[in-house]
Amino acid sequence: MTAPLSPCRAWCFLVGWSFRRQARGHLLVWVALGLLGLSALLVALSTRFERWNLGFLRDGRGRPTYEEQLQMFELASSAPMPHAGLQALAGAVRAQMMEASGLWTFSNWAVLGMFCSFLLPLWTLTFATDALARERENRTLLWLLARPLPRPALYLGIFLATLPWCLLLNVGGYTVLCMMGGKPGWQALSLYLPSVFMGTLAFSALFFLLATAFRRPSILALTYAFFLETVAGNLPGYFKRLSLSFYTRCAMYDAARDYGINPPRPGMFVAVSGPVAWGVLLGAFVILLALGCWVFSRKEFAEVQ
Amino acid sequence: MRDLLEPQDAEHRSRPLVRPEPKVEQAPPVLLFERVSKWYGPVLGLNQVTLELRPGITGLVGHNGAGKSTLLQLAAGHLRPDLGRVTLNGLDAWTSDAKLHVGYCPDLDQFYEDLSGRDFLLVLARLTGFSQLDACERVEDLLRLVGMHDRADRALAGYSKGMRQRIKLAQALIHDPALLLLDEPLSGIDPVGRREMVALFLELARQGKCLLISSHELDELEKLTDQVAILAAGRIAAVGALPRIRELLDQHPHAIRVSCEPSDVLTRHLWQWEEIVGIERDAQDLIVRARNPKRFFEKLSLLIIEENLEVRRIETLDESTSDVLNYLLGGTRA
Repeated sequence: MTAPLSPCRAWCFLVGWSFRRQARGHLLVWVALGLLGLSALLVALSTRFERWNLGFLRDGRGRPTYEEQLQMFELASSAPMPHAGLQALAGAVRAQMMEASGLWTFSNWAVLGMFCSFLLPLWTLTFATDALARERENRTLLWLLARPLPRPALYLGIFLATLPWCLLLNVGGYTVLCMMGGKPGWQALSLYLPSVFMGTLAFSALFFLLATAFRRPSILALTYAFFLETVAGNLPGYFKRLSLSFYTRCAMYDAARDYGINPPRPGMFVAVSGPVAWGVLLGAFVILLALGCWVFSRKEFAEVQ
Repeated sequence: MRDLLEPQDAEHRSRPLVRPEPKVEQAPPVLLFERVSKWYGPVLGLNQVTLELRPGITGLVGHNGAGKSTLLQLAAGHLRPDLGRVTLNGLDAWTSDAKLHVGYCPDLDQFYEDLSGRDFLLVLARLTGFSQLDACERVEDLLRLVGMHDRADRALAGYSKGMRQRIKLAQALIHDPALLLLDEPLSGIDPVGRREMVALFLELARQGKCLLISSHELDELEKLTDQVAILAAGRIAAVGALPRIRELLDQHPHAIRVSCEPSDVLTRHLWQWEEIVGIERDAQDLIVRARNPKRFFEKLSLLIIEENLEVRRIETLDESTSDVLNYLLGGTRA
């Protein structure tokens, strides 16, 4: 006897099937994996050459690095006659600079600079735009739209199937970078992971919406990731508040507050508080997802005609 | 003089040439278009289309761009009307509930090319809500029905056009819908396959399903049904039984512009023909109003040769009737 047709069963199958379809490698995934390899190599080299400290920074253009300044101070404290107090002071500064500044340096350079501003949006769009864009460009979306599933359910089903891949790439990629970062990397891993997770959700919802609303979403999403997130997201002033990576970074700074990690130039960065950052990211996720559902449920796709 | 030549007013033009004859105690329509219009930007795809379909086969014919695919996609719920309403068994065609009542076999030739025909149908069956077991049984039944059960394990990318058409037809039948929308379902199928498909369509109609089959080929459609809807420039130009349409067309005077030299010779002969209702002069041209257009054009051709007339232009002035004529004159019985 034939069981009655079940929309719930159909939806569950859609999620599982779409998830499996995403496993098929495509160009953007290879680009993302290439970037992961490159960035992991950079981090590994920095770890190998002990660059995770303040010693290589300068307090102004043309001035000696902190390491050079400290060496000069140590030299001055031991010649012509060693001075125990100054030597102790130099030792304490070196300990702070070389060891305690590891997390600060790794956070600002690898996590907030490279990962959050550049890699996080780029890796998310790899899967988030491609899931729907591929159905549209291959004109196979017709077969899904012809099924007796409500359109919002179709949208949410494909989104839910795509999200684990976005999380895998971002959280996995972030974990790899942290593992390559040595001790400060391990410290940063657990510290920023919740923010990475939340940022991924918000970016996924955004890029999925772009894939629904526009015909060439990959190009649009790449433009967005480069210009609004990477460039405008680092400009001084309030314009950066339009970028999701700004709020992800604010959430990260809030998580690392107890470790003394703050924006390098607080006056320029104009951070929002942790709860506000989390609220904006969560709100963006919900609103963008709802907006995507609405657009998808009303849109007449030219690709199925 | 020009007044007589104006084709028809707007209201008249939106009315089909032949309406379905009223039947006593008809079942409610499976598919209903109520004054449906659809624009693509500034282009009008469908114009005030009203159409009722009940169980049985209806052919949908018209030139490229006449609006056949638009009409089918509105019925399939892939497009929404800008004006009017499309319903399937009383449900708005755009809704997911209505999709349970319709199977759509598109002209589009795109698949998940890496899947086999069997897997493709299994996926669509599962997405329709069948359990794994039921989906397998249903797919095997359908593959047998469309004659693909012994070659369904190859990847779709390697299928011929005819095989792809059969798989498309099978997917439209997965959930046993009341309405089947078939866009050029016989294109690319060999003659033997065509006979099989025609037999299948007739069997489905016999089972009480409603089939709307779009085709360029009236000959093929005539093997299936004599019920047709003829689309011209986004309007239903004629709908009903083909013999009835032909009969009415023969009685309906057509306005034809003829530009030739010497026109007085032509006029002298035309007046003697029983098909001619009237002749008017418009500058250098003649506007001829004639019944039985097929016979008129045959006689005109002979006359042109016999009298060695120099013809510059022959043009049917009624656009909708012209399209109907193009189809019917090309038909087997015209």
